[in-house]
Amino acid sequence: MGLEEQLPSGVLLTSVEKLAGYARKSSMWPATFGLACCAIEMMATGAGRYDLARFGMEVFRGSPRQADLMIVAGRVSNKMAPVLRQVYDQMPGPKWVIAMGVCASSGGMFNNYAIVQGVDHIVPVDIYLPGCPPRPEMLMDAILTLHEQVQDAKLGANRTRQVGELEQAALQAPATIEMRGLLR
Amino acid sequence: MNVYFPILILGLLAFGFAIFSVTVAGFTGPKRYNRARLDAYECGIQPTPMRIGGGRFPVKYYLTAMSFIIFDIELVFLYPWAVVFDKLGIFGLVAMLLFLFNLIVVYGYEWARGGLEWD
Amino acid sequence: MSDDSQVVPVGAVDLGLAPVDTVAVRQGAFGASGSGDTSGFGGLVRPIEMPGASEKPYGGYFDELTEELELALADAGLPAESAIEKVVVDRGELTLYVRREHLLAVAQELRDEPGLRFEVCHSVSGVHYPADTDRELHSVVQLLSMTHRRRIRLEVTCPESDQHIPSLTDVWASADWHERETWDMFGIIFDGHPAMTRILMPDDWPGHPQRKDYPLGGIPVEYKGATIPAPDQRRSYN
Repeated sequence: MGLEEQLPSGVLLTSVEKLAGYARKSSMWPATFGLACCAIEMMATGAGRYDLARFGMEVFRGSPRQADLMIVAGRVSNKMAPVLRQVYDQMPGPKWVIAMGVCASSGGMFNNYAIVQGVDHIVPVDIYLPGCPPRPEMLMDAILTLHEQVQDAKLGANRTRQVGELEQAALQAPATIEMRGLLR
Repeated sequence: MNVYFPILILGLLAFGFAIFSVTVAGFTGPKRYNRARLDAYECGIQPTPMRIGGGRFPVKYYLTAMSFIIFDIELVFLYPWAVVFDKLGIFGLVAMLLFLFNLIVVYGYEWARGGLEWD
Repeated sequence: MSDDSQVVPVGAVDLGLAPVDTVAVRQGAFGASGSGDTSGFGGLVRPIEMPGASEKPYGGYFDELTEELELALADAGLPAESAIEKVVVDRGELTLYVRREHLLAVAQELRDEPGLRFEVCHSVSGVHYPADTDRELHSVVQLLSMTHRRRIRLEVTCPESDQHIPSLTDVWASADWHERETWDMFGIIFDGHPAMTRILMPDDWPGHPQRKDYPLGGIPVEYKGATIPAPDQRRSYN
């Protein structure tokens, strides 16, 4: 955002953060990116029984220019990858991505020449949602987790400070291959 | 005060809000353009370039539009006649039949000349 | 899956019931071969058998169909023996092995002849038999006759060194995208096709994925503290 990010860090910025977070999370419009079976569960989540409209999200925009959230529901093939990237690029910020299902998170059961092993090879992902397909309740849990993240998101000077801290933490964290031992 | 005055106020407010939203968003929003955002949206594929004048169109669309105008105007005359049909009697019927006869000749001509063929 | 097939001379093996062609014999499975492998998969010997040529009478409507086709081809000046290599009747389905030079003539007769009338071509797909030298790539065409309610299959072979087969798009327009898919997956070039491009893989993809010698292409999966190799790289006991 343009104007809000010039504010100096303090009570005013914190209140603006809270207000902006609330506004962004309560009317987050998803872009339709249902590719395969997970799309059916996404449609079921938007339908009557597991209602997404109560979170302000029943308008699945057809055009990425009017969307905030891209729910990548389904496996992404190598042919679909540049299309996905183009649609992501055409979304205006702020934007978020949920990788719905195991195929979008990590390639799922398809470890072969045709399927991209995880959509985070192409776009930055905020929430990974496992499941094949994830139940509508699981998708709503992922969406609500994202909503909490968005509500707590920082702006302007606070955000730059937070990015610096996260970068330091990531540099010190061990690599996945080095995490051995019993993990319960 | 005129009864319709509040509607005018509402219209002005709506118009003003729309103008306000667009212009203020233009000032306060950040300008983060990338090449994909400046491209036309074509479902994620690279957009095909725009042709001059929109490209050449088959003439059948023009013929369909013309036929539509003619028969639509005919309908516009048929509707009020149908509403007061019972009060007009034989005179109204004969007058309308003469009007329709003219248009049926036109329709027959178009049919025979192949104007209704889509391919 | 590692390639364990060995070439065995192709011939009809008499099992007493139906003739059978042995296309290849697979030794070992799942990457294990020979002794010293405790799973037992190393000693597995499995012949790959395809149904062999059948003799008349074929049964059902097949005799009528093949007679009609032979007559139609004879009228067009093409003796049936030179066009049709083999007739296979197996499990209630008729397959005609057609030589690729005469494919278009046979297809035209199948579509136009009143007694045959196969108006619908609803699938063109490919098969790859690497052990079958000079007949490695097959293109399988499934035809349906709505007027007579019959189904038939045409199989056309071509060697890997000269992988060209005449295109059926002039006879059946629906073969268009199926032939593109067969080109994409197997590499069979259909001569006369209007737009021979890749349809399933990206346009600049090298190789033809559904061939037997094309690897699965998986990557090792990373877990915390370990990686698991891709499915076709696992279970090698050597």
